[in-house]
Amino acid sequence: METLKSAFDFSDFPRLDISIAGIIAIFLLVFPLFSHSAFAMATMIQFLMFSVYGMGWNTIGGYGGQVDLGKAQYVGIGAYTTAVLLIRWNIPFWFSMPLGVCLAMAWSFIIGYPLFRLKGHYFAIATIATSLVLMDLFSVWEFVGAARGLEISPIKYHYPDFWRLIFKKDIYYYYVILGFFFVGILYVNGFRRSRLGFQLRSIRDNEEMASSLGINVHWAKIKTYAIATAFVSVVGSFHACYIKNIEPQDTMGLDLSILIALMAMLGGAGSLWGPIIGAAVLIPLKSYLKAWLGGAAGLAGIDLVIYAVIIMLISALEPRGIWGIVEKVRRRRWQ
Amino acid sequence: MKVYTRKIMTVMCLFAVVGILVPSGAWAVKEVKIGVIYPLTGGAAAAGRELRAGAELAAEIANNVMPDLPMAMAKNAGIKSLGGAKIKLIFKDHEGNPTLGADLAKKLILDDKVDGILGCYHSSVTKTVSAVCEQYGVPMINGSSTSPGLTQRGFKWFWRTTPHDKWFTKDLFELLKGLMEGKVRGVAKVPEKDLMNLASACENTEWGSHVSELIKDLAIVNYKEYGFKMKKSLLYAANSADLSSEVRSLKAARPDVMLFASYTSDAILLVKTLKAQRAQPKIIWGQDAGFEKPEFRETLGDSIQGILTRTVFLPKVVEIKKVAGQVNALYKAKTGNDLGGASARAFTGLQTWVYILEKAGSTKPAAIQAAANSIHISGKELVVPWAGIKFSTSGDELGQNVLGSGLIGQYQKEKDGSIGLEIVYPFDVASANMIYPFPKW
Repeated sequence: METLKSAFDFSDFPRLDISIAGIIAIFLLVFPLFSHSAFAMATMIQFLMFSVYGMGWNTIGGYGGQVDLGKAQYVGIGAYTTAVLLIRWNIPFWFSMPLGVCLAMAWSFIIGYPLFRLKGHYFAIATIATSLVLMDLFSVWEFVGAARGLEISPIKYHYPDFWRLIFKKDIYYYYVILGFFFVGILYVNGFRRSRLGFQLRSIRDNEEMASSLGINVHWAKIKTYAIATAFVSVVGSFHACYIKNIEPQDTMGLDLSILIALMAMLGGAGSLWGPIIGAAVLIPLKSYLKAWLGGAAGLAGIDLVIYAVIIMLISALEPRGIWGIVEKVRRRRWQ
Repeated sequence: MKVYTRKIMTVMCLFAVVGILVPSGAWAVKEVKIGVIYPLTGGAAAAGRELRAGAELAAEIANNVMPDLPMAMAKNAGIKSLGGAKIKLIFKDHEGNPTLGADLAKKLILDDKVDGILGCYHSSVTKTVSAVCEQYGVPMINGSSTSPGLTQRGFKWFWRTTPHDKWFTKDLFELLKGLMEGKVRGVAKVPEKDLMNLASACENTEWGSHVSELIKDLAIVNYKEYGFKMKKSLLYAANSADLSSEVRSLKAARPDVMLFASYTSDAILLVKTLKAQRAQPKIIWGQDAGFEKPEFRETLGDSIQGILTRTVFLPKVVEIKKVAGQVNALYKAKTGNDLGGASARAFTGLQTWVYILEKAGSTKPAAIQAAANSIHISGKELVVPWAGIKFSTSGDELGQNVLGSGLIGQYQKEKDGSIGLEIVYPFDVASANMIYPFPKW
């Protein structure tokens, strides 16, 4: 009960923040009811997916200061669990998704234990390595379709199927991922003020000091790593049903791992709103720059250049990301 | 009042007369929108440019009268049965990303309201895009993805004009068999033991992994009597920055024949690494894609002499097909390059769209579906050396063109010193003696 209360308690945020968050929440709830293009809907779903990925990454990477560049492996575990169970045994999403979370968390414990003996860059490199190794294993594992991956056939199921999460219209997918998005915000809000949340922040600020205070540093990191894993695994399962086709390169590639970390870092690692802001800026920017410049204007590739320049500018201006810029401006105003 | 009634009657009569005289299609459709999804950026951007140019040229011919071209679509400006409706292409860039491809397909179908889709080159992207088309009941024609699995899914809105990898890989084994039997132009009978050991390295997505399996299957099962041994079979990421360990591993297996399925940048990197490590097999064979791009030839120059690639179109085809020569001239004027496998297939893909629309006389999906399932395009109309286009409507390969065929070309030095592709298979249309074994680097 206390935990639930803590999840809904946003009282330490300025009123302005809460008002803006409330307006955005209402906008997200009613967005599909207004006229919109399919492209805008796809972009919104991507934004919500990456927000949840980022929230997960933020627990270990932002609050814990452990730069994890291997999150895609857990996206893959979630996606493959759902796809394999659905295709082979017709097991619905709402059963396969929790199972995927359990498998991903179990895997995170197995690799997290030795991985957290490493620190800094060594840890980051090790997470990349484990993710790539798992991707290569899936690429040759026939049971999961090897490199060809798995396809949830559009002609095999009748839609809308809420149990299996097979829909023709994206609006259904939108509300499902929006639900995960709100649950994610509430969980992280509770987490940041939980015992583990405080422990992590002290570990991030000074690991030796945290250890001397009696915090089991290694165990705290492993637990948080598993929590982060659960977030991305849920979205991985969702991805399998949404795209209906998964393959190792697309689901477990290094690009995805880096993009997940980038969203949170650019938005502002270690803050509740950071990953959401990061995804809200980067996902539409990427999609619309490509559509306007790459597609309509025929300037293929120029969208990537502009996208890269914007990322570099934000990183150079404020290493704490967009949320860091907001806080800086706010501090100056108050002074 | 009477005057008014008379005026109204006159106007109505005028409308009726015009309505009778002008074909109904002219009112119904002014343009037919085809969404084209290709990789315009990323590792396969070079192929994307070729594909785009091929599709654009086909649309240009379909939209204008070009009486000199012996093609039905060059005789009219636009689709005659749709009252001269013009073909409008809406291009999208999928970057080789299947998820992005699916999103773009939704955008084209729901936002741009396209009448059909053409694409997507990467088999992995074609897989997700065709699934979206199937869901929405929108026709999709695929001209250049060759993973056999694509037409084995029972889809009713997907048609593929190009032959697939099973046919192409079989062609390779027929060439090896021909070498052993002394059928290859300019090469004496090669002892079986000289061609027994095979090794392959294929990119690790839908297409490459399928080719890798096909090579193994054909070598060990279908051509068992020739004693082929698969010494090494590797998969690698097409966007790898370094392939030296893969090449070292291939070299260590000491194969007689090296087989590759690679996109453009990895094909170039592979050959550079093979050269750097002085790998010396007797045959190097590429499964089309990167191995026949102009960039492959331009970047690697003379060092590709002797490399084989399967394709569906070679500039030499121009010598045996008049229509191919004429279209090639138009393509060269537009891009500065000769037609290649990618551009010729993109051209053929869009050409097929035009013929289907002409036959359907409507842009309604059901009419297009019926037309596609019953169409028969003569080989004389095509730039590619196929017997024609006719889609399978039963069996386990729904929507597959059953009249396609492949070629194997070899890079050789032309009289003017440039490097070009000569036909070495099928044996009866060989345009030059085959270089065997692969020359020293």
